[in-house]
Amino acid sequence: MDFRLTEEQELIRKNMREFAEKYVDPIAAEIDENSRHPAELFKKLAEGDWMGIPIPQEYGGAGADYLTHTLVVEELSRSCSSTGFTVSIHVGIACMLVNLFGSEDQKKKFLVPMAKGQHLGAFVLTEPGAGTDVMAATTTAMAEGADYVINGTKTFTSNGPTGDTYMVFAWTDKAAGRKGLSAFIVPRGTVGMKAGEHFNKMGLRSSQTSEMVFKDCRVPKENLLGKEGNGLAMAMTGFDHGRVGIAAQSVGILQAALDESIRYSKERVQFGTPIARHQAISWMIADMATDLSAARYLTYAAACLKDQKQPFSKEASMAKLFAAEAAMKHTIKAVQIHGGYGYCKGAKVERLMRDAKITEIYEGTSEAQRMVISGNVLR
Amino acid sequence: MPVLVACFKWVVDEAYIRRTSAGELDLSSVSYKISDYDRNALEEAARMKEASGGSVLAVTVGVPESTKGVKDALSRGADQAFFIADPSFGMLGASETAAILAEVIRTRIGNFDLVLCGEGSSDLYNQQVGIRLAERLGIPCLSFVQKLELEEGRVVAERRLEDGIERVSAPLPAVVTVLPDINIPRIPGVKDTLSASRKPVVTIGKDDLAVAPDAHFRTISLAASRLDRQCERFGADETDIRRFIGALRQKGVLR
Repeated sequence: MDFRLTEEQELIRKNMREFAEKYVDPIAAEIDENSRHPAELFKKLAEGDWMGIPIPQEYGGAGADYLTHTLVVEELSRSCSSTGFTVSIHVGIACMLVNLFGSEDQKKKFLVPMAKGQHLGAFVLTEPGAGTDVMAATTTAMAEGADYVINGTKTFTSNGPTGDTYMVFAWTDKAAGRKGLSAFIVPRGTVGMKAGEHFNKMGLRSSQTSEMVFKDCRVPKENLLGKEGNGLAMAMTGFDHGRVGIAAQSVGILQAALDESIRYSKERVQFGTPIARHQAISWMIADMATDLSAARYLTYAAACLKDQKQPFSKEASMAKLFAAEAAMKHTIKAVQIHGGYGYCKGAKVERLMRDAKITEIYEGTSEAQRMVISGNVLR
Repeated sequence: MPVLVACFKWVVDEAYIRRTSAGELDLSSVSYKISDYDRNALEEAARMKEASGGSVLAVTVGVPESTKGVKDALSRGADQAFFIADPSFGMLGASETAAILAEVIRTRIGNFDLVLCGEGSSDLYNQQVGIRLAERLGIPCLSFVQKLELEEGRVVAERRLEDGIERVSAPLPAVVTVLPDINIPRIPGVKDTLSASRKPVVTIGKDDLAVAPDAHFRTISLAASRLDRQCERFGADETDIRRFIGALRQKGVLR
């Protein structure tokens, strides 16, 4: 077993670190405070081919592997997890769905501008009454002549207000149960599709989240993604890929929490000695570093399985579950290490703690991951 | 179409050097990087090529483990690399490095227009390789360069000196050593890094060289620099001020 990254992966990670220090760190606190989507930053990300890493070059991507994409999401999230997540859901779910299930024409029309970073993708599945229980969704897509007509309301759509290309899930045949859900590619500006106002969230504030309302939204039949009735299976495949990204985002948050805790605990002096020398603090840091390593290896292992074309659904859920819970647990500790200073705006650990919480919730709550994992091991 | 040669050194990234509580340098988990000013040299060569065509050849002398550095250089716009490697090349001095570079540039590249080097390396900063290389090649050298142009067979450069800026020109071929002010090096994109692996690399071993440089340097010890501080408190009354002046005299600060 070889745990080493390739030279290319190491260089790409190092280049992303430099990119994040130069372009992301200086604005991370501001875009969090103002809930602002940094369009200027995404333009730079597109220029460096960071927005479509695992997509083949013929479809506008960089043509690298999924592990490389995972490393990049981790490094970006270490500076700003909103930015890391936006890249993750754009690449890991939106681009991957079209890459895996799209027709040649759909790839040329929709995937190329997405993978080049010119268009931002969104995954439109969750509804007010259908979160973990995907089957409770009510949005419908009725065939009418050469079109489908979509009606319904979605919510918590990441990149909703800022997206260009939406992967929308709706029932084409509710009576068919698990075989009744279908997916559609809906471009921004389609009549009848409207994004709501950006939600004022606890964390992940610069990632834009909104309702998506569909009222007699007409999309041509050639925008059906994959086969009619295959929506649920495609959504689950999308989640498998996306969850590796959320795991990477959590690893990035955790690395940042460790970086901040090490730096501060060496500087902060109490009782005549840096607090890093107090066992109460040094043990917190030891646990943080250990869980970080475990989370990182679970995440890379899931990405490697994906790259080796092996099943990775269970491993993606395990990585996401462990990394998200570790990120939450240890960002709370990181704030504790910083004391009152960590509770104030401007301390990075304060943002990390707020940002960590969502990793236990979206793309499947920790409870949903346990359902996937237990379903696999108890099969 | 100019043939541009950019020389670079693969050095320890100082950000990863840790100082132990005993005052020693811990190099056990260091990472490596292209020496900072050499990145400027590579960047300038790539920009000249992008502006007016030609080719960029990246050349390095180092230990065989430096392959990542070669890929890094190729991801920054170089078309081809010459990798002169031997386990003993980690301890070369400026004179030997310049001799090796000169031989390879003369015999393997031959027809070149401009050699670009960083003003000094991030690790030792001797500022000698570029100048010695020019001497070995018997061509002009322009150092402390902050701006660079090629004009009809000549290189025109701005040199930043202590008392002003000097604008000079020299016939090609020539060597320039550049300052960091000359440009801001790019951050290679993903495709740049991936395509670097497909670019040609000429690997040259010690046995392939006519010069047989031996490392003249050996590291006897490596220690972190120390700054000892002493703390003595004085009050503001007359006695303490006299004591304060006495202490400064004793330390040699006042005479």
